[in-house]
Amino acid sequence: MLRYTELVKSMTIKEFKLRYRNSLFGFLWSLLNPLAMMVILTLVFSTLLRGGMENFPVFLLPALLVWRFFSIGTSMALWSIIGNAPLVTKVYFPRWLLVLSSNLANLVGSTLEFLASLPLLLALGMKLSWLTVLLPAVLAIEFVFIAGVSLPLAALNVYYRDINQIWEITLQAGFFLCPIIYSANLVPSSYALLYSLNPMTRIIESTRKIFYYGTLPAAYDLAVPLLGGLILMMFGYAIFVRLEPRFAEEI
Amino acid sequence: MEILRVEDLWKKFKIPHERRTTVFENIVGALQMLGGKTFSYEEFWALKEVSFTVAKGESLGVIGENGSGKSTLLKILARILRPDRGKVQAVGRIAPILELGVGFHPDLTAKENILVYGTIMGLKNSELTKRMDSILQFAALERFRDAKLKNLSSGMQMRLGFSVAIETDPDIFLIDEALAVGDMEFQQKCLSKFKEFKSTGKTMVLVSHALNLVREFCEKTLLLSRGEMVSFGETETVVNEYIRRVQGP
Repeated sequence: MLRYTELVKSMTIKEFKLRYRNSLFGFLWSLLNPLAMMVILTLVFSTLLRGGMENFPVFLLPALLVWRFFSIGTSMALWSIIGNAPLVTKVYFPRWLLVLSSNLANLVGSTLEFLASLPLLLALGMKLSWLTVLLPAVLAIEFVFIAGVSLPLAALNVYYRDINQIWEITLQAGFFLCPIIYSANLVPSSYALLYSLNPMTRIIESTRKIFYYGTLPAAYDLAVPLLGGLILMMFGYAIFVRLEPRFAEEI
Repeated sequence: MEILRVEDLWKKFKIPHERRTTVFENIVGALQMLGGKTFSYEEFWALKEVSFTVAKGESLGVIGENGSGKSTLLKILARILRPDRGKVQAVGRIAPILELGVGFHPDLTAKENILVYGTIMGLKNSELTKRMDSILQFAALERFRDAKLKNLSSGMQMRLGFSVAIETDPDIFLIDEALAVGDMEFQQKCLSKFKEFKSTGKTMVLVSHALNLVREFCEKTLLLSRGEMVSFGETETVVNEYIRRVQGP
């Protein structure tokens, strides 16, 4: 693992650079995009539909950011092997490093998004509390979960390009099946258990507790995604290693 | 001492009769198979029972007609393809130049590509920064250090690939027809680099149709035909055998 520190570093920088290459606004898009989403959703939910939450933008934005961390992270990692075809077909190194570098580049991006959004959240009336220091822990746990999902996705996508389509639909469903634009309290009690076992629901709830409710996330808010992430990582890595030998042939 | 040992190497490719890449096509294919349709691909052995060893300080030439398995062998040595049977033991770091490239990204600049490739080869960033100038200088691309790779000509890309690969100090250098697109001046530079490389006791594996190059640099040569080892031994003998085979009796 330590042998690859320099390699992971240079590949992460490469991924990050490539993400914004040939784009006029570059990294600014990472801020404009969630901002636009926030404005649109706020307009819809607190002006058109009414009945939204109090101070809807602060309710929404943190959830939106952790969701973007997951959705962009996994959909970028999906292409991490195929997108590096010249490397995969020309030189040897452990291929999971490509997935890890893609995930790390995304971690850098999301961290910057959060940092840039903080002043905005404060301006919107969020009260800054000591709970904010818990955010890195939440993001770290989410990172494990993202990596666990990314490994099998990236490997399978080399063999079957439909994984990309399937994942796009899954993410769209996920956006509505997680408490991003509504409160988790609204879910009928008959579904509550199933609903609350979704690792992303727990991540979003943790973030919302930190930024909106100002309460401490419960132990299971963090344990569910961490456990889910570790299990996924185990199975995901097993799938990855099985598929890895023929990457160069199938790519 | 042996630096490279290849034992009973077999590599199989599948040639599908109908390509199935989507899940839908695979489901349809699986249903058809349940219905009694036979699985429709052909097996193609690109390498069969290949064994040889290269001693330290020696270089190996690999010759044979198109499709004889030369490039497949090189890719297995580079650990890009995994053999179906047999094993490869290599001592030290391997730098491959396959199909005229070392794995550059078209959207990265020359400099950025050198950094990524160099770290893959196990060099530290600080070392690479030190060697950057000499790499660019050897490739004669100092002016283009910040140009994106896709904007360089194929000859320039090859020059950069060659320079960075040799500059990472490999113990074994795998070269697949790499000189073909370089201009005459660069070819001369490469040849003297080859000599220098060999004189330090390191090993080259040269896949080439340029028999004079093989004669000049390789002590041992491997002749492949349709994936099978026709002969392996002293270069002069094997090259002559190849010429005899091609010209006919």
